[in-house]
Amino acid sequence: MKMTPVLLIVAALLIFWVSTFLAVLLPAVTVSDRPSPARQGVQWSADVAAGHDLYNRNGCSYCHSQFVRAIDWEGQRLAQSGDYAGMEPIILGTERTGPDLSQEGGLHPDDWHAAHFVNPRHTRPLSIMPSWEFLGDTAVRQLTAYMQSEGGRDADAHVQDQRDYHAQALGAYRAGPDRNVRWLHDNVPAVWRDMPNPYPATESARERGKAVYLQFCVNCHGLVGDGQGSAAKFLDPPPLNFTTLRRNLAQGKYIGGIFYYQIMNGVTGTAMPYFKRELESEKIWAVSNYLAVQFLGYTDATLEPRGIPAAGEPAWKNSYTAPTTGPAREGAP
Amino acid sequence: MPAMPTTDRPRFSAALAFLVAGGVWFLVAGLYGLAGAVHLMAPEFFNNIPWLVFGRTRPVHVNTMLFGFVAGSLMGAALHYVPALLRAKLWSPRLAWVSFWLWQAAVLSGPVTFAFGITQAREYTEYIWPVDVCVVLAVGTLIVNLLMTLARRGESGLYVSVWYVVGAMLWTAALYPIGNIMWRPQTGAVPGILDSIILWFYGHNVVGLLLTPLALAAVYFIVPRITKTPLYSHTLSLIGFFSLAAIYSHIGGHHILQAPIPNWLRTLSVVDSVAMIVPVTVVLVNVWMTARGRLGMLWNDPAGRFILVGTFWYLITCVQGPLQSLPSVQKVTHFTNWTIGHAHIAVLGFAGFIAIGALWHVVPNLTGRRIYSRRLISLQFGLAMFGLVGFFLVLTAAGLVQGQAWQRGETVYRALPSIAPYMILRAMLGVSILASAAVGLYNLLMTVHRGEPIENTLAQEVQA
Repeated sequence: MKMTPVLLIVAALLIFWVSTFLAVLLPAVTVSDRPSPARQGVQWSADVAAGHDLYNRNGCSYCHSQFVRAIDWEGQRLAQSGDYAGMEPIILGTERTGPDLSQEGGLHPDDWHAAHFVNPRHTRPLSIMPSWEFLGDTAVRQLTAYMQSEGGRDADAHVQDQRDYHAQALGAYRAGPDRNVRWLHDNVPAVWRDMPNPYPATESARERGKAVYLQFCVNCHGLVGDGQGSAAKFLDPPPLNFTTLRRNLAQGKYIGGIFYYQIMNGVTGTAMPYFKRELESEKIWAVSNYLAVQFLGYTDATLEPRGIPAAGEPAWKNSYTAPTTGPAREGAP
Repeated sequence: MPAMPTTDRPRFSAALAFLVAGGVWFLVAGLYGLAGAVHLMAPEFFNNIPWLVFGRTRPVHVNTMLFGFVAGSLMGAALHYVPALLRAKLWSPRLAWVSFWLWQAAVLSGPVTFAFGITQAREYTEYIWPVDVCVVLAVGTLIVNLLMTLARRGESGLYVSVWYVVGAMLWTAALYPIGNIMWRPQTGAVPGILDSIILWFYGHNVVGLLLTPLALAAVYFIVPRITKTPLYSHTLSLIGFFSLAAIYSHIGGHHILQAPIPNWLRTLSVVDSVAMIVPVTVVLVNVWMTARGRLGMLWNDPAGRFILVGTFWYLITCVQGPLQSLPSVQKVTHFTNWTIGHAHIAVLGFAGFIAIGALWHVVPNLTGRRIYSRRLISLQFGLAMFGLVGFFLVLTAAGLVQGQAWQRGETVYRALPSIAPYMILRAMLGVSILASAAVGLYNLLMTVHRGEPIENTLAQEVQA
């Protein structure tokens, strides 16, 4: 076969258009743009639309994806084609240097986002996301609005939960540290309030707890556990000052199970996120022991009730004694 | 002996301008790439500097490398060798300059717009609408110039390189407006999931129907010249050319395989991604059989070394590519730095190395001067090779670390500390690639200004 100019041009274009027919035109006529249940009836506010625009223009999509896959361990439901109905452009993303954001709405309250956008290390010490402080407060508010819309109707429900509990949490915080602790404890299910930390608080266990604390907790709760981390000035209510727990005993002691439950599930309505996806059980117990020993000087590790000790664990005797301070008095300093 | 008067030397052509600009863009894009690499290593290094924030430097890096350095350099070389292969003068050098300025204006818009948040944001289609118009006009004017040159050729047969160059330009002229959704100037997108389907049809084909054919054209032109052998097989050339067009062009769906796209599109993308083995091996067999027994000639030629190694990078890229399209492989590699490694060996290793090789092969002809320093080309090669091999290993490893961690159920955040050492290595290796770009540009500028005129040395040889 001899290549001639006519053959070259005609054949090259013909093949191209056949491919375009397959890969562009066929999808264009067959792929429906009908909204998925999560997207049904969702209307973007001006702030959300502006936030979406900022997200695109600042290249957030180079590190964050917008769909949850069957093989992922994050997100509550799998992405559907109708999740993107009417969005233009919707940039699915090709990298996950940061987490998927398609179901971000309501995972955190607005003040968490404000701290996070100004400096991501405020809330996530290991993050390598850039600071977006230079965009200014308005842009950060709009980006936050967009984040809170991610996930459609599900997101709206989660955001509403955040608002409802936020009112309660703020009320408790404003009523003073003791009322605040009581509100926090009252929202932990009874079974957890009876549960001592089942792991021995050995030095190595506490070192592991410290490592986790430095990777996840330190910039809110602070190096000395006083709730004065770098994020604190953004957060309302502010992070818990652990030392206020010293005079607020439950059952005459501090309860590892309460820490565990709060770390696992977070405190919706406050900037305290849940960590059950990030931290396996032993890590949460390790942080609980670290918090208790380091900031409160006492842990209930391995106290009764306990069952048969786990094989291979060191013979460790809890020599910490519960503080002698009496029950908290209203208005005490 | 006095130097020959400069008027005897070839005029500074648009082809040479494309190559010089390509060298400049390689350096500029490399700087942006390094800024991004530094960010991934130390996110507060350039803290709160808007035009250096990662989300804005990355598109500058990618688009400037792709369109400014690689595609630009390869088009420059083509402007030189296509007329030579057709035994004709370029139809209109003036129109070639128009193409040149349109193209450079488009590339320049990257650092000027993206860095300030002006972008259409979809990967590889970030250029805003007026810039899209520049690109299409640049390609359109090149097509006119090429076809008019073709019409006035003195050689009846069309050599393979000509097919690829003409094909690349025709395909790009059609592909670019589709991929950039140019009929919707406001967003450059269509609503819904369809947008991503079209985007990755395009994103895949920018490499497959622009960079690949231009690079293969250069390979087909240069390898027989350096090895002084005729091309191995005309039939393989034909199969390679048409199978590339047929298979490469419709498999972009493998970029969004795990996204909610139709199953038939997934199947099509995966099956024909594997079929990509055909066009790739056909071309490589053809090229390597042409050079068989003479690989040393390629290796010892400063341009030939880049071309030879570029074909090896092509093989690695295009074995890895089909494998990566398999769902069971993507399960681990997708969304990770593995893909970043793949992109670097494709654009810099395959098309980029060949662009550099093509540059050094045609520059003596374009300037009438000998290459300023062959040792500097060796240095340029060594630095690029060290950096790129390192990139490939480091990013692939980082990708596997990420992918395995996620498979175990660790969150993206938890896996970050595990890739930190790789990000540090990557930034260091990036310095090597950047140094390679700087050495290459210096050598090119010195060749253009101070290279020994070829007439001059010929005269000396005659005297001796």
